Amino acid sequence: MDVKEAALDISHWDGTLSLNDFSIAASAFSEKWKRFNPGVPPWSWVPCPKQHLVSSHRVEGYLQLENFCCVKSSEKELVEVTLTQKAESGRSNKEECFDYATLVCSEQPHEVIHYDFHIVYSASYRVPVLYFRAYHTDGQPLLFNDIEKDLPGNSAKLPSESKWTFITQEEHPYLNRPWYKLHPCGTGEWMKLLFLGDPLLTVKGQLIERYLVSWFSVVGQVVGLKLPLGMLDSIVSTYSCTNDEKNGNTEK
Amino acid sequence: MTTGSPSSVRKVVVHLRATGDAPILKQAKFKIPGTDKFAKVIDFLRRQLHRETLFVYVNSAFSPNPDEVVIDLYNNFGFDGKLVVNYACSMAWG
Repeated sequence: MDVKEAALDISHWDGTLSLNDFSIAASAFSEKWKRFNPGVPPWSWVPCPKQHLVSSHRVEGYLQLENFCCVKSSEKELVEVTLTQKAESGRSNKEECFDYATLVCSEQPHEVIHYDFHIVYSASYRVPVLYFRAYHTDGQPLLFNDIEKDLPGNSAKLPSESKWTFITQEEHPYLNRPWYKLHPCGTGEWMKLLFLGDPLLTVKGQLIERYLVSWFSVVGQVVGLKLPLGMLDSIVSTYSCTNDEKNGNTEK
Repeated sequence: MTTGSPSSVRKVVVHLRATGDAPILKQAKFKIPGTDKFAKVIDFLRRQLHRETLFVYVNSAFSPNPDEVVIDLYNNFGFDGKLVVNYACSMAWG
């Protein structure tokens, strides 16, 4: 079953992937990541053979990026940026100075937080799901409140209450230990939305190649992982947005 | 691509395009300093649309990090003198 060359009608695609597509997407993603993020730990594929006999040539598994270190001070800069923007908006006499006192924890030493990230395929939603955990250098896990405070996405005012960035603690499907996960409801929906406007995306293999990069551009924001522009560039079709715009919405 | 001269504040034309059932803005195009963060664009949209949850993306490909600088986005993904930014209101997810 060669899906790679299959023609694709993007308007009927529901934004999801099969397990097999996921493993292809995963290797495309980790290769791109390696190419564009040489200084950062790579994503590696962890094969997880299932006990029951699935006659698949591809082994089930997930992507992992372990021991990603984050120094707390860089996060502080972000907090300050948002605060200055607040100040600019001209409401100086409010009690917002209180925020300064709570947010800028200057007496704290620069602490290193370690993150482990896994991208796991969800069979029920048919989309990738981000699992993560965070711990101090001594191995002590961070509680969710601390993680939330530490998430750069939070300081960039990404609404944590919005449903598509909904974080829950759940059992890791392969490791059977509690991990945090970004809830996948909605993933198919916004992935579809994301790709819908691209009339050149007509080959399924292409879509699969791009899938995880696009997906990660959204999901990474929640946990503060940024994709380099070059990597994003590599998945952008070279079609002119203006054509699409002039003709309303050409599906050709 | 980038000439690397952040000292001269170049303005970038941002074209905000509604997708899905997101409301269309009266003024869809505007100029902002290239040195601004993309977060400014998102904030602007949030204020205009009175929505906290927006899905903002570029080139049918990705959602820019709010931390990204507008001129960098323009240099990489701009076309025809502007940066087209699509937005959708978060639908009834889940």
